[in-house]
Amino acid sequence: MRSTTRRPASVLAALAVVAATLLAACNSAASPSPSTAASPAASAGSSAAASQGTAHEPVSIVVGALRPGVTQAAADALFEQIKEFQAKYPWITVQPEEYNWTAPTFTAALAAGTLPDVFTIPFTDGKGLIAEHQITDIDALVRALGYADKFNPSVLVNGQDSAGKIYAVPTAAYGMSLTYNRTLFKQAGLDPDKPPQTWDDVRAAAKTIAEKTGVAGYASMATENTGGWQLTTSTYANGGRMEKVADDGKVTATVNNDATKAVLQRLKAMRWDDKSMGSTFDYAWGTMNQAFAAGQVGMFTGGSDLYTWMIQNASLKPDDYGITVIPLDGSDSGVLGGGTLAAVNVVTTAEQRDAAVKWIDFYYIQKLLTQDGAVADAKALTANNQPVGVPALPIFDKATYDESQVWIKDYINVPTEQMTPFTSKIFDQPLINEPVAHTQELYAALDPVVQAVLTDPNADINALLDAANTQVQAVLDAPAP
Amino acid sequence: MGSISEVAPVPSVDARSRAARFRVTRAGLATFAFLLPMLVIFGLFAWFPIIRAFVMSVQDTNLVSDPVYVGLQNFQRVLADPLLGIAVRNTAWFAFLALIFGFPVPIILAVLMSELRHRRGLFSALAYLPVVVPPVVSVLLWRFFFAASPTGVFNTILGWFGLGPLPWLQNAGTAIPSIVIEATWAAAGATVIIYLAALVGVRPELYDAAEVDGASLWQKIRYITLPQIRNVLFVTLILQLIATAQLFTEPLLFTGGGPANSTMTVLLLIYKYAFQNSLGGDYGMAAALSLMLAAFLAVFTAGYYWLTRRWGVDS
Amino acid sequence: MGRRLVRLPWRRRPPTSASSPDRGIVSAADRSQSRVRWFMRFLNGSMLVFLLIVGLGPILWMLKSAVTPTLDTLRQPMALWPHGFDLSQFATAWNKVHIDRYLFNTVAIAFGSWLVQIVVATTAGFALGVLRPRYTRLLTGLVIATLFVPPIVLLVPLYLTVVDVPIIHWRMIDSYWAVWLPAGASAFNVIITKRFFDNLPREIFEAARVDGAGPFRLFWSVVLPMSRPILGVVSVFAVVATWKDYLWPLLVIRDPAIQPLSVRLPILAPTTDLGVFIAALTISTIIPIAIFLLFQRLFLSGTGLSGALKG
Repeated sequence: MRSTTRRPASVLAALAVVAATLLAACNSAASPSPSTAASPAASAGSSAAASQGTAHEPVSIVVGALRPGVTQAAADALFEQIKEFQAKYPWITVQPEEYNWTAPTFTAALAAGTLPDVFTIPFTDGKGLIAEHQITDIDALVRALGYADKFNPSVLVNGQDSAGKIYAVPTAAYGMSLTYNRTLFKQAGLDPDKPPQTWDDVRAAAKTIAEKTGVAGYASMATENTGGWQLTTSTYANGGRMEKVADDGKVTATVNNDATKAVLQRLKAMRWDDKSMGSTFDYAWGTMNQAFAAGQVGMFTGGSDLYTWMIQNASLKPDDYGITVIPLDGSDSGVLGGGTLAAVNVVTTAEQRDAAVKWIDFYYIQKLLTQDGAVADAKALTANNQPVGVPALPIFDKATYDESQVWIKDYINVPTEQMTPFTSKIFDQPLINEPVAHTQELYAALDPVVQAVLTDPNADINALLDAANTQVQAVLDAPAP
Repeated sequence: MGSISEVAPVPSVDARSRAARFRVTRAGLATFAFLLPMLVIFGLFAWFPIIRAFVMSVQDTNLVSDPVYVGLQNFQRVLADPLLGIAVRNTAWFAFLALIFGFPVPIILAVLMSELRHRRGLFSALAYLPVVVPPVVSVLLWRFFFAASPTGVFNTILGWFGLGPLPWLQNAGTAIPSIVIEATWAAAGATVIIYLAALVGVRPELYDAAEVDGASLWQKIRYITLPQIRNVLFVTLILQLIATAQLFTEPLLFTGGGPANSTMTVLLLIYKYAFQNSLGGDYGMAAALSLMLAAFLAVFTAGYYWLTRRWGVDS
Repeated sequence: MGRRLVRLPWRRRPPTSASSPDRGIVSAADRSQSRVRWFMRFLNGSMLVFLLIVGLGPILWMLKSAVTPTLDTLRQPMALWPHGFDLSQFATAWNKVHIDRYLFNTVAIAFGSWLVQIVVATTAGFALGVLRPRYTRLLTGLVIATLFVPPIVLLVPLYLTVVDVPIIHWRMIDSYWAVWLPAGASAFNVIITKRFFDNLPREIFEAARVDGAGPFRLFWSVVLPMSRPILGVVSVFAVVATWKDYLWPLLVIRDPAIQPLSVRLPILAPTTDLGVFIAALTISTIIPIAIFLLFQRLFLSGTGLSGALKG
C-alpha cells in the first residue's frame, strides 16, 4: 500500500521539534532566572509612598525566617514583627517563607534559584559563598546603617571578603555548651546545680545516669555533618585543631591530631566499656534535640541557643533544661564558636537589596542595639509565649550585650537560674572560630569516623583519622572553581 | 438471516485503497497533532535529558558559573573516589542479600498459595497490602520499628522470645540486612501475584505424568513447577537486580548512608555528588557516575539474557 | 463470538478433561486422603496467621499507635493502650501539622499527573496504533528506548531542564508543573495503550471512515469510549505512582506549601511529636489502601509483569 501524498509539513514539523531539542542540548548551562517574589499575603501597608518624604517604589522581598514545623504561636510572633516593619517602611512588603539551612537542602535550593531574598547561613559558609559569587555585596548599605565598626571583628570577618567588604551580616553567635537534663540528674542522684566540670566528671556522670536510669548518659551527634561538627568542638575543648593555616594562606588538614584521638578514645570507652551512651548513634541536629526533650539523653554537646527550638518544636519541659560550659582541658583549648549570617540573594534588584538590608537591620540587629528595638522584639515574643532571654554570645561587644539584657529583663521568661552554669562562665572562655576552609566538607568527612567509633567496637581510630585527613587534604588542595 | 457480510458489505479493493489514501492524506496534519503531546513531553523530558546527560558528563557544571568542557576528567575523578568502591561493594551486597532472601520468599509464598484452595483472594490481598503502602511511609514506620533501644518495637518482640536487643540500623553489619528485610516486605507481594498468575498456567498433565513415574512432592516442585515458570523467574530476577542496583529511598531515609558509609549505595553517591555539598553540587560527576551505572546495567542485562537464552525455553 | 478487546499474552491451552481439571502439585487423589486434607487445612491456617502478622501487622500497629499517647508508644510499643486512647493526635496532625494541606497537594499532583499521562498516552497510542503514519516504527522504537535508560541517568539533566526549560525559558521549579509534565514521559503508558489500540478491530474504523469521520471524530467518539479498560489501568497506576514518588518531588518542589506528603513527612519527622507523626502517617496511607481495596481485581489479576515494572 503506497501513500501517494505525504504531508511534508507534518514530517518537517516533527523534524523541527527533534532538531530544536538537539540544539538546546548543546546549549550551555541554564542561568537561574530572577526569583519571582511570591505575591504578598500579609496585609501590607498600602503603597503609601506619598507619606514618606522621598518617593519609594513599592518593593517586595521574601525572607526566610520561618523554621519548618514551628508552632503557630512562633509564626504569629514573626507576623507581628513583620507588621511593625511594614508600618515603619510602608513601601516594603515582606513575605515570610519557610527556611532552614541544612547542608543537603541548601545546595539544591541554591542551584534551583529558590532561595528567599534574605536567608541565613552559618558562619562556615560565608567565605565560600562569597568566593563563588552566590551572595551579593551589601557593604555600602550596611555601612550606611552606622554600626558596622561596632561588630566584634572576629565575628564580622565571617561575612566579609578578603578586602573587608561586607556581604553578610552576623545576626547571632553561639558558643558550644554542655546541655544536660536536670531531671535525669536528679533521678540519678546527681546535683543538677553542680554539673560536670571536667571530662572525667562527664564520663562519670554519664555512667551514673546510665546505671541509675537506664537512658543514655551521654550522646553524640553523628550524621548530616553534625558528627564532625561536634568532634571539632570536643577537639577544641581538648586543645587541638582541625586545620592549620600557614602564613601564605595554604591550609593543611590536621584532623589526626592528638586531641581528636583522645576525644575518640574517650567516646570509645564510654560507648563500649561504660556502656553509657545508649543504643542510638545516628543523631543529627533535630533528632538529638528531640531525643533530649523526650528525656532519652542525659548530656550532649550542642549550641547554647537550643532552648528556643526545643520549646517550639519538641515540647521540652522547661524544668529539664540545664546548660553549662564545655569542660576545657589543656593549653590552647577553647570553645567552638559559631553563628549565623544573614545574606541577600544574588538575583535581587537594587531596591530589593535596600529593603533586604533594612529588614536585616530591623529583625536581627535592632533588638541588640536600641532599647526600643529590644523591647519591641521582647514584647512580640512574649505576646505569643515564645522564649525571651535565651543565652547568646555578643556579636558586638560584651557591654552592648549586657545592656540589651538589661533592657529586656522584665520580659525574660526562660529559667535563667538553670542557665547560670553557662552564662556565668562562658565569657571567660576563649572563643575559637570554626575551621576556615571547606568546613562542611571537613565535617562530612569526619561523620563516618564518629559513626564508626560508636558502632564498631574494633574501630581503628588512628587509621580512620589518617584516612579522613587524606580526604580532607584532597578537598583543601583541589583548585577553586 | 444472512451472514454478517451481507449486513456490512466488505468494501471492494478499490474502495479500500482509496480509504487508505484518504486516511494518510487527510490525516497527515492531524496525525502530527495527535503526536504533538508525546513529542513535546518525551522530547523535553526524556530524549533531551538523555542527550544532555552525555554532554554534562564531560563538563564541569555547578549551575552558577558557565560549564567548562573537561573531557573525561569527571569519569577519572569518580573512579578515583574511594567512596565509589565502598558504594559498589555495598550495592553488590544489597543485591546479593536481596537475592538469597528476597527472591525465594515470593516463590515459596506463591507455590503455597497456589495449592491452597480456600481464601486465595484474601491471601493475595494481604500479601499485596504492603506494596500499596507508600514507600516513604513504610520506611519511616520501619525506621521506628528498628529502634535499637530495648524498648524498640522489634527488640521488644525479640524480648518475648528471650532474644537480646539487636542494633538493627545502628551497626554496619546489621544495617544492610535490616533494610533488605523491609525492602522484601514492601515488594514481595507484587512478585507473589505475578508468580500466582504463572503457576495457574502450569499444565496439570505434567504433574499427572510425574506421579505415574513416582515423583515425590519435592521432585514435582523441582522438576515441574519451577522449570515451568522459569521464564517468569528469569525476568523477575533481572528486574530485581536492576531495581536493587538503584536503591535510593531506603538507604537515604533509613540511615543516610551510614553508619560509617556502610549503606552508601551507588545512587546515594550520585545524589551526594549532585545535591549534598552546601557550596554547590558537582553535576558533571553525578552525570558521569549515572552513565557508568547505566552502561554497567546494560552490559549486565545483555550478558544475562545471553546466558539465560541457553537455559530458557521459548514457549 | 464476542469481540476480544485484550489479547491475553499468557493464555495456555485449557487442561484436557482426561486429567484432573483443577489440580496443582498436590493431586486430587492425594487430597482425598484425610491426612493430606488436615495438613492442607493446617497450612491454610498457618498461611493466614503468617500473612495477617506480616502483611497486615505493621499497618495495624500504625493504626493502634496513631491513637496511643507518645510516651506509651516509646516505652511500651507493643502494649494495647495502657493509658487509654488519644484521638486528638489525628486532629493535631490535621490542623497543627497541616497534613490536610499536604494531602491536598498529593491529590492535586496526582490529578495533574493523571491528566497529562492520559492525554499523552491516548493521543500517542491513537496516532501510533490507529493512524499509523509512516514513521510509526521509528517513534515507537524511540519511546521503547527510554525504557532501557535507568531513571537516575535522567535525574540531573531533567532537573536542569526543569530549572530552565530550553527555548521558552520557563522555570518550573516549585510548581506542580515540574511533576505533572515529566510524568507524561512514561513509555510504559504509551506502549500498553498503543498495544490496546492495535488490537481494536479495524472494521469499526473503516465503518466510521465510510461514515465520514475524520481522525478527531474517530478519536473522540469511537476509540476513546472503547478504551475504558486500558484507561482504567493507566489511571490506577498513575495515581499510585504519584503517591509513591519521592526523589523527584523532593528535588523540584522546595516550597513547603505545595509539597506532597511523601516529601513532607521525612522533613516533619524530627520536629513532630511521635504520636502525632504516626497519625500523620496513617492519614497518608488511607487513600492508597482505599484505592487498592476498591480496585483489587485490577492490582491482583496478574497485570503481571507490568506490576514488576513499577518505579
